[in-house]
Amino acid sequence: MKRSYLGVIILCLILAMNIVFTQLIVHQYYHENYQNVLIYMGINIILFPIAILVYKKEKNKGGS
Amino acid sequence: MTNKNGKIPEKDDNYTNNINRNNDRSLDRRGFMKTLAGAAGVFAVASLPWGTLAAKELMGLADKEYPHKKIVDIKDIAVGESVEFHFPSDHDSAVLIRLEENKYVAYQNACTHLRCPVYWVKEQKEMVCPCHHGKFDVNTGAPTAGPPRRPLPEIVVHQEDEAIFAVRVKRYEA
Repeated sequence: MKRSYLGVIILCLILAMNIVFTQLIVHQYYHENYQNVLIYMGINIILFPIAILVYKKEKNKGGS
Repeated sequence: MTNKNGKIPEKDDNYTNNINRNNDRSLDRRGFMKTLAGAAGVFAVASLPWGTLAAKELMGLADKEYPHKKIVDIKDIAVGESVEFHFPSDHDSAVLIRLEENKYVAYQNACTHLRCPVYWVKEQKEMVCPCHHGKFDVNTGAPTAGPPRRPLPEIVVHQEDEAIFAVRVKRYEA
């Protein structure tokens, strides 16, 4: 049976973005650019439902 | 093999595919994706406190003006010496350095790398963080060597009645 690794790849990208934005949040907070902190926090929170959606769509695709 | 992930599918339950290692099916493709989605949730929750603090700052709830605080009498600090104090709260350690007769600089001395205390090394004319050998320029607070990337927050000092007072914490220029 052919495996689908699309979900794994997308989720890996989401996790990478999470890490990048979390680091940016910390840096922007200490640089006192508070608007940017809120923007990055919004992105980080929105990424979570996207990750859940991708998981739900992809969990039954492919083998295993 | 009682749990769902540990069960061997019927097509694999034969003499060629009967390798039975512990947990060898618990981190398959689906389990891995589940972990990744969970990690995204952890990151989302972890960014909430930063956003709350930022919103608090934006709405002006955090007061930036602190009462002036006396650090040290001028007669007690020689040129080239430093003295440690706490400003604005008792948990923010800071260091005051007398560079010249009438030149004083003060920084919050939590290293911007991992918040180790930064010390003034008189012989090297540098501020040094002992944890990872980060170094800071004493005139500006900018990092000059080692892991820290952000400058130390400068404290504005004020000279009055033969004593040095801390006035406020300067904003980052960056």
